[in-house]
Amino acid sequence: MDFFDRQDKARRNTKLLVFYFALAVLCLVLAVNVAVSLLFTGFTNYGLMIRNLNPGSSANESSLPWSQVELLLWVTIGTLAVILIGSVFKTLQLARGGSAVAELLDGRLINSNTTDADERKLLNVVEEMSIASGVPVPQVYVMDSEPGINAFAAGHTTSDVAISVTRGCMKLLSRDELQGVIAHEFSHILNGDMRLNLRLMGLVFGILCLTVIGRILIRTRGRKNPLPLVGLALIVIGWAGVFFGRLIQAAVSRQREGLADASAVQFTRNPTGLAGALKKIGGLTYGSRIQSPHAEEASHLFFANGLGNSLFATHPSLTERIRALDPSFDGKFPYIVEGLISAISPAPGAPQRLQQIRAVQAEAGRFAAPFISQHAVVANIGQATTQHLSYAADFRQAIPPALEAAARDPLGASGLVCALLLANEPSMQQKQLEDLATGTSDAMRDETVRIRPEIQGMQLQAKIPLLDLALPALRHLSPQQFEQFRAAIKTLVASRTKADLFVYMLQKIAVRHLDTYFLPEQRLVTQFYALRPLAPDCGVLLSAMAYAGQENATGAYAAFAPGAECLSHAARCEIPWLPPDQCDLSHVDVALARLSQAVPQIKRNVLNACVQTVAADGVIQEGEAELLRAIADTLDCPVPPFVQLQEASAPALAED
Amino acid sequence: MISGLMLIGIIILLGFFVLMFVIGGYNALVTLRNRYKNAYSQIDVQLKRRYDLIPNLVETAKGYLQHERGTLEAVITARNAAVSANTRAAQNPGDASAMKEIASAESALSGVMSRLFALAEAYPNLKANTTMMSLMEELTSTENKVSFARQAYNDAVMTYNTRREVFPNNLIANTFNFGQAELFVVEKPEQKEAPKVAF
Repeated sequence: MDFFDRQDKARRNTKLLVFYFALAVLCLVLAVNVAVSLLFTGFTNYGLMIRNLNPGSSANESSLPWSQVELLLWVTIGTLAVILIGSVFKTLQLARGGSAVAELLDGRLINSNTTDADERKLLNVVEEMSIASGVPVPQVYVMDSEPGINAFAAGHTTSDVAISVTRGCMKLLSRDELQGVIAHEFSHILNGDMRLNLRLMGLVFGILCLTVIGRILIRTRGRKNPLPLVGLALIVIGWAGVFFGRLIQAAVSRQREGLADASAVQFTRNPTGLAGALKKIGGLTYGSRIQSPHAEEASHLFFANGLGNSLFATHPSLTERIRALDPSFDGKFPYIVEGLISAISPAPGAPQRLQQIRAVQAEAGRFAAPFISQHAVVANIGQATTQHLSYAADFRQAIPPALEAAARDPLGASGLVCALLLANEPSMQQKQLEDLATGTSDAMRDETVRIRPEIQGMQLQAKIPLLDLALPALRHLSPQQFEQFRAAIKTLVASRTKADLFVYMLQKIAVRHLDTYFLPEQRLVTQFYALRPLAPDCGVLLSAMAYAGQENATGAYAAFAPGAECLSHAARCEIPWLPPDQCDLSHVDVALARLSQAVPQIKRNVLNACVQTVAADGVIQEGEAELLRAIADTLDCPVPPFVQLQEASAPALAED
Repeated sequence: MISGLMLIGIIILLGFFVLMFVIGGYNALVTLRNRYKNAYSQIDVQLKRRYDLIPNLVETAKGYLQHERGTLEAVITARNAAVSANTRAAQNPGDASAMKEIASAESALSGVMSRLFALAEAYPNLKANTTMMSLMEELTSTENKVSFARQAYNDAVMTYNTRREVFPNNLIANTFNFGQAELFVVEKPEQKEAPKVAF
């Protein structure tokens, strides 16, 4: 099952979720009706008794059943309205993506240029995972008031992911264990679970609504404050909602957790890390419990049970999960006391591992352009492996310190991205810088000029990861500064005298990921379920790629043909071959926007065709490979970096 | 009796609606407040970096500027004052008195720093010193970053302040104690931009 199948499965699960939800609403309405009619019957009996005592009053016996029906109708409408308002409210609130969830649970955004050792370690682990899997570096939050060990990833797409960990998770786990936990969260990102989880959170809030509000009210402080009492009443009324909400959360969440554990191990090839983290949860007094009153709504997002063990646990039991990773586990958890452990465990594994990596790096010179098998490209999407992870660690080590510092600061990161878009030819570069000076602030331009020498002569392969590393710092721009930056990078691309598809794609990646953060209302929805209406767009994309890779028109057509053929089978219509002026950057822009709104299976076909086009001349060069990664990114399909795959690539090359 | 129940039902629903609205407004204010506090921590990082660079710079310059001890001491005093003002501001970003204190400490520091840079112009040996050159370059770029981060902070404060003043958020803000946040404006009487050094 590859990336696209998993995405499809997640989409199907969404339908299942809607069904569960409808069922739960029905049951909830019934439950409330039964409760009200019991209460009502109590009242009417009392009323009848009074009437019987006063025979003078005329009791209209026949109107009673009808009025009862009317009452129940109103109760039903009321209950539905509460659920609806609650769900819509929460869904709107979550539209901002993962950061909305993280802030809801009192998460504090970690600054990309933090100097705190624990925070740095966490960010480094996350950055490595991002580079390894080709996902832009997410925002990282820490929940300072949570002493337990837990974590979650939330978001709609790869551009608005927030990873949030508890203080306990950050402080108590060793680097290997933390890596296990983060790998688990990344597999949620790659499995397409997050969007489903957020949708679930929105819907379930409607059901849980009364209880959640009740819990918040109970915690309000103040003299003569009546709110806690109101809260208590709401909790009592809302018990049925809690019952159904947890049922749905458990049903959707439980099976996916096992899957995420398995992919995390596949990712890090180190089951002891993840198992160690789970054991520490078992040994810690706080366990994985989340104290926030909002824990209920988000319980299905977490790494481990956030609400304590119960019948409707959202996760399999700890022992079960550890046994799956470490069959020799005897069921005894180590005794963990906060404060002690942070003194003992400055991650004994970490320095040793770094040395190994440096040794490997020195002997192999692994940043040479790898040979890429065309068969491996699409299969690799969303499938990061241990090799990718160690490549990512090497890469991070190899970044010059000045660039690393720049990528972590908002101004530096803006300059870095601008510098990435500069042309190699001095004359064109001069023109770009002049155009930049007219459009933006001096600070941004100066920074670009300052960083320029570091970027010159850098391998093409380093550009996308560098851009990904710069994204978290760029999210710290103010909206006004972002507007400036966005205009600046568009200018840089437009003022090149010769259009360059790869540079344009780099700009596109930056704009796309940052727009989802700064302009959340422009979210795209899936609109295309068939390839046929997209045939012209595929034509634009493939033609543009063919021209980008070849010198003359005949060569370009030779490259275009295999890709178009592979798509026209699937689309059952012709893919048009376009002259250069009909597939320039503005056309590509429109085409990519439309293609990104297609269902995963179509994206798979399109990417496959792109690979065919690029590989038409028998080899995939470094530039072509990076172009593929960039295009896949705009279609929201994270491609891990192309590393030397010893076994896979050799036979494929022999065939060619 | 039925119409009475209906009325109660409608009141409850309305109340629920209002509650949702209040929660929404409250959350939005919390988000914006977090945002400007976070923006301050960006300034904080760069300021600390600058405060770390200044003693090195003074140490390097000491050998050359024997007769300018007064200026060097003024730089260190201003730097120490700014460090303590920043510690206070970082603990409570947006607080009016803390922000005014750091703003005036910063402008005092910029004033003496530009005096130091002007002095250095007169000592060719000092200007040629490589350590001094890299320190000055580092300081200028940090200064740029500070003012960039300060702009981001001020933008975030403006957004927050506007949001908390409009109806009905002002009611929510007053009930739950969302105070006005203070801008970070450094006034530089002589010189508006970062000290430019020409070599």
